[in-house]
Amino acid sequence: MTACSSGTGTGWKAQKTYGARMARKGFWREALFRFERAAVEKPDDPEVLNNLAVAYESLGESAKALTTYKRALELAPSDPRIKRNYARFAESYTAQQRAGGAPATPTP
Amino acid sequence: MRVPGKPAVLLVLALSLPAVAGVHEVKLKLPLRPKLAVTGRERISLSPFIVATQLSEKKDAARYKDLDLDAEFRRYLGKQLGKRTKMTIIPMPAEVKLPTTVLKDLSENAEYWRSVGARTGADILLSGIVDFKIEDKSGYRAEEYVSRIDGRTYYRQVLVESTGFTFEVTVLAFDGKTGAKLFQETFRDAKEKPRRQADELLGLFENLFSLENQLLGLFVVREREANRYVFD
Repeated sequence: MTACSSGTGTGWKAQKTYGARMARKGFWREALFRFERAAVEKPDDPEVLNNLAVAYESLGESAKALTTYKRALELAPSDPRIKRNYARFAESYTAQQRAGGAPATPTP
Repeated sequence: MRVPGKPAVLLVLALSLPAVAGVHEVKLKLPLRPKLAVTGRERISLSPFIVATQLSEKKDAARYKDLDLDAEFRRYLGKQLGKRTKMTIIPMPAEVKLPTTVLKDLSENAEYWRSVGARTGADILLSGIVDFKIEDKSGYRAEEYVSRIDGRTYYRQVLVESTGFTFEVTVLAFDGKTGAKLFQETFRDAKEKPRRQADELLGLFENLFSLENQLLGLFVVREREANRYVFD
């Protein structure tokens, strides 16, 4: 077993598990930190990348979330959970883009 | 002492596992950006709004006689902006009048808005057009009832007297320095009340309360809840 019982271990699996636990509690900064560390060791694991994308999305880093979701889907194109996450993200991302956020310049 | 057998241990382990091992649905609070960039432009002033139908022209003008729609809307919006945003509300001088009652002309009159901006010192100026309609919506509707004579269910037509309140506002935002239009959006809300409970001011404020979050969403970051899957 890679994770120690009190919290974090050092392996990517332990980081991912601990990050998921933090995500369930709503501690997204900590979750992101753990998923990033897991991704350094396992950059081609679709589950790690999915978790990382969710953490980016939760913290408002939409551009990073987009590329990370896409990479996760490339690696696991038929995973229904990743597909669903990406679809929901794409919906809210598009809505934000259409709203234009905040026009910095006057509209014509 | 009886040592638990293999099946019992397995059962305990199985019960302690989550429903779907390895995947969890988590809740996210996603930030919704404001539609109007207000960072660094926190001084806002509410100019008069055009009232779509002059109240005196309405057929049943008596019902609206106590309702100054422009003043009520501006007072309400100013209060909400003051309470729920970091914006500073700059009072609009009472003598400021709109140069036109045509929305398109108003939205294109950059020179006028630049002069109002210079006069008030506001970074953002709000204006637009407001409309409030009260309509009688009486009509017959089918109602189910059980006969006391034979216990069977029948339908009968009953007269329902209700009143509809519809509020619509198009908000225009202008840059106080250049007079250029920054934003335009229309918000609408409709409510229906039984005739006996119908009161125009109460109806108006019910409409406004319904639109409150949408209107404030122009200026402040809001949050929306979403669900995503994460893997253990």
